[in-house]
Amino acid sequence: MRVKDLRKSYDGKIVVDGVNFEIPKGKVLSLIGPNGAGKSTVMGMISRLIASDSGIVDFEGKELQKWKGRELAKRLAILTQSNNVQMKLTVRELVNFGRFPYSGSHLTREDEEIVSQAISYMELTPMQDQFIDELSGGQRQRAYIAMVIAQDTEYVLLDEPTNNLDIYHATNMMKIVRRLCDELGKTVILVLHEINYAAFYSDYICAFVDGKIAKFGTVDEVITKENLSGIYNVDFEIMKIEGKPLSIYY
Amino acid sequence: MKKSTSAIRAKSRRKFAVLVLLSLIFIALYMTVNVRFDHPKLFAYAMNQRSTKVMVMIVVAFAIGAASMVFQSIINNTIVTPCLLGMNSLYSLVHTAVVFFLGSGSVLARNSNLSFLVDLAIMGVVATLTYSCIFKKTKYNVLYVLLIGTVLTSFFSSIQTTLVRAMDPNEYETLLSSLVASFSNINDSILLLAVILMVCVVVALRKEIAVLDVITLGKEQAINLGVDYDRTIRKLLLGVVLLISVATALVGPISFFGLIVANLARQLFKTYRHTELILGSVLIGVVLLTAGQLIVEQVYSYGIPISVFITVGGGLYFLYLLLAQRRRK
Repeated sequence: MRVKDLRKSYDGKIVVDGVNFEIPKGKVLSLIGPNGAGKSTVMGMISRLIASDSGIVDFEGKELQKWKGRELAKRLAILTQSNNVQMKLTVRELVNFGRFPYSGSHLTREDEEIVSQAISYMELTPMQDQFIDELSGGQRQRAYIAMVIAQDTEYVLLDEPTNNLDIYHATNMMKIVRRLCDELGKTVILVLHEINYAAFYSDYICAFVDGKIAKFGTVDEVITKENLSGIYNVDFEIMKIEGKPLSIYY
Repeated sequence: MKKSTSAIRAKSRRKFAVLVLLSLIFIALYMTVNVRFDHPKLFAYAMNQRSTKVMVMIVVAFAIGAASMVFQSIINNTIVTPCLLGMNSLYSLVHTAVVFFLGSGSVLARNSNLSFLVDLAIMGVVATLTYSCIFKKTKYNVLYVLLIGTVLTSFFSSIQTTLVRAMDPNEYETLLSSLVASFSNINDSILLLAVILMVCVVVALRKEIAVLDVITLGKEQAINLGVDYDRTIRKLLLGVVLLISVATALVGPISFFGLIVANLARQLFKTYRHTELILGSVLIGVVLLTAGQLIVEQVYSYGIPISVFITVGGGLYFLYLLLAQRRRK
């Protein structure tokens, strides 16, 4: 997937200003940056949730907007933070929706099999018949990830997946992200606020400032004292833990 | 809370069976209570009259039930009714304007076929133009639909009240009867036309109705799963408006009824599957309408119109829903 000169403005205010990058296949890429830097908007545009003003998102040799909705849904999945369902829905019924792009509402036996696998992969089998609104925040998040796994796409886009989760659940979520990439071979793109999660669990990092890319590269290239201080306007110290550059800010 | 899916399915099948049975019982009661079986001519007359009314009630239950369920799912809110689209007040305005400008003796006021067609045409055209145009202009934000509906409602009703104030009291007396929902005086040709229109709407929207389940996951999830969200919502909304127009043109302002049936169906079936929810609310609608009309005709001998029951019952139920929702939070 390649992004060329992407632009977006809301009411004359430029939010994304000429963004170019290429998403490495089979890796975890984190988009970081201060509030309002445009990372979530870029995420929205590469997942077709937000229409761009100009620029091209080239997805597997074809412009994103020209893909048929269903075909794209078999290749690219996006999970945003706004997941409040009014309906009475069990975990299994939610994960069933992941097969919608393939079989509509009538699931085949193969679909049921894939759904069961996705549920057990997220360790939700014991609670698969519980209603979503009776689960804890972490469990609910895992149910949605199970749906994305059932959707069986090569690309998985997650918009702030650790938001509203405590440290335990947030860390678990990041481990799941890593497993999606390492075990299932997916390309994962994340929007993250927590720099250390990005540094520890990603392969590549793209840092945004004022709607432009400030730095793009491997974790070691981007997470340096100078880079981060420049991006966030805060003093940073970098420490190496398990070979990864983790940052301390104050 | 742990129930397997097949057990839930079996349970909802049982609920359907009960609802079908109840509707059949009330239809049968409605057809037979106080009928002179010993007098063939009177019997034939009663059957003829009542079978048409039963048909009308089924048609209205279908239109209102389906439209309300779809509308609530589009807006993603279970306490809205298609009343908010302003078709009720447009209906009142059209009828008031006809009586005001042309008089209660005019063809338009007296010929029910003609007035049905005029109602339907005006409501259909106004709704289609406003909602499809505004929907595009506001970048497919469904909340604007509610806002515009509210504005239209007060716009139409203030014109209507102004006309009523300047109206001859005798004329107003005749007008009043057409502003109250009623299942009487509907002939077969209108009924047939309404059925044909409704079948057309349902057939045209069958694909969109099939993705309603996904729509309720929210806009972003629906797009993620490959649904052409904006187009689907626009078509569904037009379908809702047309169904409501048909029902209103047929019997008068009644769409508040939708709030009751849609929520009862949601409470009863506790599912996200819209085929079940829609069928459920249609059946509940048939039960409530036939039972209500039975009481209106046999107990109160037409003294109280059914809309009084709908408004009182619906109002109380609405309060209950609001309070129940607050308690849950």
